[in-house]
Amino acid sequence: MKTIFTLLLIFLFSVHAFAQDILIDGTIVSTDDNMPVPGVNVIVKGTTRGVSTDFDGNYSINVNRGETLEFSFLGFISQSVTIQNQTTVNVSLVQDIASLDEVVVIGYGSQKKADLTGAISTIKAEDIEKTPNSNVMQSLQGKVAGLQVTSSGSPGDSPTVRIRGVSSYNNGDNTNPLYVVDGMFYDNIDFLDNSQIETVSVLKDASSVAIFGQKGVNGVIIIETKTGKFNQKPIFTYNGYTGFQAAQNVVKLANAEQFVTMAYESGSDADIQFVENAMQRYGRSRVNPNIPDVNTDWYKEVLRVAPIMSHSIGVSGGGESVTYGVSTNYFSQDGILDMKNDYERFNIQSNVDVKLSERLKMGTNAIFSNATKYNAENGAWFQAYFAVPILPVYDELNINATPIPFSDATQIGYRSSQNPFPVMRFNDNQLKIRKILASLYLEYSIIPDKLAFKTSYRHDYSTISERNVRLPYFISGNSQRETSTIIRQEQIYSNQIWDNTLTFKENFGDHNVTLLVGSSYRDEQYNKLKATGKDIQGIGLESSWYLDFADPTSFSNQVEEIGDRFYALGYFGRLEYNYKSKYLLNATVRREGDAKFPKEIWVTTPTVGVGWVISGEDFMQDNGIFDFLKIRASWGQLANGALGGSAGTRTVSQVTTDIGDVSTNGIISSSNFTDLEREILEETNIGISARMFQNKLSLEADYYIRDTKKLVIPVDQPIVSNTVLENVGEMRNKGLEISANWNQSINDNWNFSISGNIATLDNEVTKINSASGYFDTGQAEFRQRSMVGEPIEAFFGWEVVGVYQNDTEVQNDPIAVANNLVPGDLIFKDTDEDGDIDADDRVVLGSYLPSFSYGGNFQVSYKNFDFSLAVFGQTGNEILNRKRGEVLFTNDTNMDADLAINRWHGEGTSNSYPSSAGRRKLWNQKMSTFFVEDGSFFRIQNIQLAYTIPSGALLGKNMPETKITFTAERPFTSFKYNGFNPEVADGIDRQTYPVPAIYTVGVNIKI
Amino acid sequence: MKKLKQLLKLLTMLLVMFITVLSCSEKLEENDGQLSADDLDFTLSENMVLPLIGAYSETYSRGWEDPLLIGVRGDDVNAGGVGDAQGGFTNADLFSYDNGYWMFNQVWENFYGDITDIVNSRETIEKYKEFAAGNYIDLADQYIAETKVLSGFQHLQMSRLWSDIFIITTSNVSEDIDKGVKTKEEVMEYVSDLMDEAIPFLPDMRPNERTDIPGGITRYTALAIKALANLELENYQIVADVTGQIISSNKFSLYPDFYELFKKPGQYSNENLFELQFSDYNSDSGDVNNHLYAPFGPASWTPIVTTASPGWGFYEPSLKYIKFMIDRDDETRLVTSVCFTPRGIDEIMLDPDYTTLPSYISNVTPDGDIFNDYARAMFASGKHYLPSNQLTTGRNDYGSSKNFIVIRYAEILLMYAEALTQGASGGSMTADQAVNLIRNRVNMTPIAGVTTDDVMDEKFAELGMEWGIRYFDMIRLNKYDELSYDGRTFTAEAEYLPYPQDQLDLLPLEN
Repeated sequence: MKTIFTLLLIFLFSVHAFAQDILIDGTIVSTDDNMPVPGVNVIVKGTTRGVSTDFDGNYSINVNRGETLEFSFLGFISQSVTIQNQTTVNVSLVQDIASLDEVVVIGYGSQKKADLTGAISTIKAEDIEKTPNSNVMQSLQGKVAGLQVTSSGSPGDSPTVRIRGVSSYNNGDNTNPLYVVDGMFYDNIDFLDNSQIETVSVLKDASSVAIFGQKGVNGVIIIETKTGKFNQKPIFTYNGYTGFQAAQNVVKLANAEQFVTMAYESGSDADIQFVENAMQRYGRSRVNPNIPDVNTDWYKEVLRVAPIMSHSIGVSGGGESVTYGVSTNYFSQDGILDMKNDYERFNIQSNVDVKLSERLKMGTNAIFSNATKYNAENGAWFQAYFAVPILPVYDELNINATPIPFSDATQIGYRSSQNPFPVMRFNDNQLKIRKILASLYLEYSIIPDKLAFKTSYRHDYSTISERNVRLPYFISGNSQRETSTIIRQEQIYSNQIWDNTLTFKENFGDHNVTLLVGSSYRDEQYNKLKATGKDIQGIGLESSWYLDFADPTSFSNQVEEIGDRFYALGYFGRLEYNYKSKYLLNATVRREGDAKFPKEIWVTTPTVGVGWVISGEDFMQDNGIFDFLKIRASWGQLANGALGGSAGTRTVSQVTTDIGDVSTNGIISSSNFTDLEREILEETNIGISARMFQNKLSLEADYYIRDTKKLVIPVDQPIVSNTVLENVGEMRNKGLEISANWNQSINDNWNFSISGNIATLDNEVTKINSASGYFDTGQAEFRQRSMVGEPIEAFFGWEVVGVYQNDTEVQNDPIAVANNLVPGDLIFKDTDEDGDIDADDRVVLGSYLPSFSYGGNFQVSYKNFDFSLAVFGQTGNEILNRKRGEVLFTNDTNMDADLAINRWHGEGTSNSYPSSAGRRKLWNQKMSTFFVEDGSFFRIQNIQLAYTIPSGALLGKNMPETKITFTAERPFTSFKYNGFNPEVADGIDRQTYPVPAIYTVGVNIKI
Repeated sequence: MKKLKQLLKLLTMLLVMFITVLSCSEKLEENDGQLSADDLDFTLSENMVLPLIGAYSETYSRGWEDPLLIGVRGDDVNAGGVGDAQGGFTNADLFSYDNGYWMFNQVWENFYGDITDIVNSRETIEKYKEFAAGNYIDLADQYIAETKVLSGFQHLQMSRLWSDIFIITTSNVSEDIDKGVKTKEEVMEYVSDLMDEAIPFLPDMRPNERTDIPGGITRYTALAIKALANLELENYQIVADVTGQIISSNKFSLYPDFYELFKKPGQYSNENLFELQFSDYNSDSGDVNNHLYAPFGPASWTPIVTTASPGWGFYEPSLKYIKFMIDRDDETRLVTSVCFTPRGIDEIMLDPDYTTLPSYISNVTPDGDIFNDYARAMFASGKHYLPSNQLTTGRNDYGSSKNFIVIRYAEILLMYAEALTQGASGGSMTADQAVNLIRNRVNMTPIAGVTTDDVMDEKFAELGMEWGIRYFDMIRLNKYDELSYDGRTFTAEAEYLPYPQDQLDLLPLEN
């Protein structure tokens, strides 16, 4: 209709055009992407004469000399050009970031950004594309205040994502936000390619996520994939990059000399014997005859430089009543652990929207993702830390070893084999991850522009087919696998959502109302079938890695199935109201039933938000500073459905045992069971949105208080080794989030923008229901305690105040005398000052949650050059150096160089690290500040240099617009922590996969 | 009009949709993929055995730490790897306990975890009993009795380690915890009474005579545990009566080959009153239920079957024990109980009194496995050693498929003998006869007029390295001088372990 009208206009005005003297033509493009903009209104100022640009952004119009042409289009800043002698006027329109009409995707709809009352941040495709990785969330690291992204180095693994701290206890999935991809709910979006994504909206506060119900309790991230536009010529794009990854900040391990020194100083005859054994077996070093002639740097041995690449091709466009988008992507990344540990993904995506009639619209969207992932043996990072440097990787003397003569530490006397290579070489863990998202919607406008009904059905069908092959080998009696094993595991997820909504929109004078009611039905099914077979015929050939070739008798008791199915049903309603777009009110209510909570199936949660656009008031007109100013406040309640289902009753499990040399079945019924009520989250958010100085500066600030009631924690049960989820108390997260952005165009050639964000987080347990006043979690030896006034799951132990330096100091301290301490032992703080060191002296040693995080981005462009630099950092979090803590269980292994060099070995040598002998003493192995370290870091997140060759510029008319990029991802990180990765999601670093730096070269082509 | 019709049509459609959605709401009551204990079909009496097997399974699947911590404090055993292995374990051997040491809590949780599961099993059997008829009622009573014996055994082990502990009688654990800890006397009396409750319902046969659950609990297992509890209580007359009952049943006899008793041939022998059962079912792949014997094994050896795995060297027979045995020339039992390394043999000979050793002392076992030097220990426990040539082909774990004997007839005879020397009267045989039965098997000359000390020496020789028997005898008899060996000093405070810190944090407990 509109198009017809436009054509009519063109026709009308072209009649008039005969009267004008100059024919002006030109092309209108967007400065943003240099793509032509169709439909731009070209009007002669002060007249009614005008035309619109066509599909290619071209126009032509007759004007008189001296007249002014005005170019305007929704979402762009209007421009005008006065005609003198020129016949061609090409205009590059600048996108109006400040546009009041900017629309933000919210649940089951969209809303003008200006009318929002909650805390929502939106990230556009171009900010995502700079980061070379397989997961879009990684690209958001440091970009959104209050969004904590903890990278994962292992190819194909998803980063840990938290919005505004932890609303629930930390157990991997429980703190993940809900991802809504084109309307479908996901816990994990590892199947999405960055190039497919149009926008990402991060919904932070309760009022914004309420419409999604209890799955949204940890915040919601809405992702819209790319699609075409109506009346748009097909646009072909190619995006690709290739590069390599290298480990950063690799921890220096103690070398042979340092290790041997530690062994001698340990006072352990056994350890000295092992060193002797190594010298006997491998010879003595010519430099220092008291150390073996081996100096293995195990990290160096297990690390490698690994390639990464991505290629995407897409086409999108649309006609009068149809839009379409099709894309395909190939991504491949090898791991930096030197073993088969890579990730490969091939995606196809398509979407079509059709206007069937004036009133009826339908659409379908499909994403298919096919990935192959080889899991890393993460244990290798742990083993590499511990393997003694006096052990070589290969040992030709190990003549019985087959098929590769790896060395084995038991052969020089150590208890374990230590060498990480056997598990890296003889395990092959392949996962085929296939995901299909198919969706269909039908939208009918019952009363045009007023009342619309929409029904949509989405199905996510995912399978993870795992084949874990354990090849036979023999290194030593302690490190061997006589029979080959294949573990096959099939996991199927089948999740369906059926949504029905009715939207009513009406303006009653200055009162604007949008009312939404709807229902959402969810069916989540999971099934896992696992079987293990041994002794595979032809194990040497990958073509026989099927259970069919396993010894049939080996299947006995090696087949298991787990399955569950949950249904949930929700009804919701939302009112959006504003008066003159000045006074805003948004209210939501959702009632939801969920089979996971037998005690209390239904729950109703309300939220409300209000806003005042101060800049809309008369007294604020022409104030010269604020272009836009809004204050907003919201309050909301959410129920948490992310926690696993309650059994609600004792359950039965199968066991087998030997009775008279016959494998016999029995049952055990659990002695504890979960019977939870939902956690209830209550959040108040107060915020300011402002744009200042001709929209050059935009500012968003939010302060929130988020209370988790009926907090659920896995509680250690007395006397038995078991934890049970219980509603134990309350927790509060509060914080301030500020993000600011300065955008300025200096002249035609120079543009720059600078943005920054900061977020504070204060996490605190506010109520505990138990008599003891605390709850313990974590490993008993590395206690984490939740108590009122302290962060949840805080590290809990003793505080080291120094090291006993000499005998006098020991003699003068009754505590040292009572515990038979010697110089080189740690001095703990006698917190309660009762003259001894015992359990009562334990204090909170810190939290794994950062209390402050910040990010920044600087971008400058000069003509066709673009340069950007992003930084990111966090402070206030602690990391438990669990690698150092392993000395509790095995103490004859290697350690990091820092620990060896800075050990106490005589008066004045150290006041923080114990002596080598002391390290092995139980006294010094207490959970203490010795093991808990500062996790702060600062990082240069991304540096990118890009050069754009405009179409035709280089090779003539046929040359498409091409952009070449050079990217360094995470090239520099600075921190104090003694590990090679300060990014540890749960704060316990035992075998964290290091996060590499990535360097890539990329090309983007648009036709 | 047409518009109205359309609208009506639409409204009907909406209504249908909402009704469909509503009908889904029944599904909210479903809980797929879980089997509730109350949903078991208790009318199927033949399934009544399943919870009992579960209770056995829990008892058999012992943590590796359990026998180590129970045994390490005796003067027969040392912790392997002083200064090298686990500090807390070494310290326990030296009678210095750090209640934060992980192993204490682990063993505590291992036993209590089993006890709660066993009590659960008993309650499940009781539910089956409600629906049972005929023979199944008797069977239910027998199964319930068996769970009581298993629970009693674990309470006994716990109380030996910690003295005062909680007695767990129902699945409502918190109720029992609220009653507080009971003294060792109370626990032992509870165990003894629990056995009395069980005995009438248990089969009157040896464990190896049972056909329904071969190797399972019988009346004599319960009697043996009752004897052990009363021995702790120093109720010597009851000990004499109960052990006398076992002896005069004439069902039990000593397995003739002492060395093989602890290997595969000795499994299910007529000597065994209670053994933990393990098997790899003689197949190189497939199901396996094994105990982790590696902590008992040598860290370095040259086994006859070259692929056999070594162990960790955590559990070392003491020099005191070895010299005691050499002094007695107790060849069979020494060679069975101790595996020597060359370094260990040298260490014995450092003592001027032992410069020449009997020829049977060798680092080659009777089966030909060679024990090499390793730093962690000088000797390994022979009773926990399975010769590599007895391993199932393809199974290389140290001691794979070997049963773990817990109570055997020799201990019954010696408890009986001790009770008599402590003044009790017994009708079955004399103390001399009991002791000499034991000595006769291993070709030791008979002795006459045995005293309590003689019996203790015999127990030391016969039962060394087994389940801390030596240690618990010595603290019962207050023979602290025996425990104060090789530089150690034993005092009364060291008799029991402190409660683990983790439990102190969870419970209203105090050390």
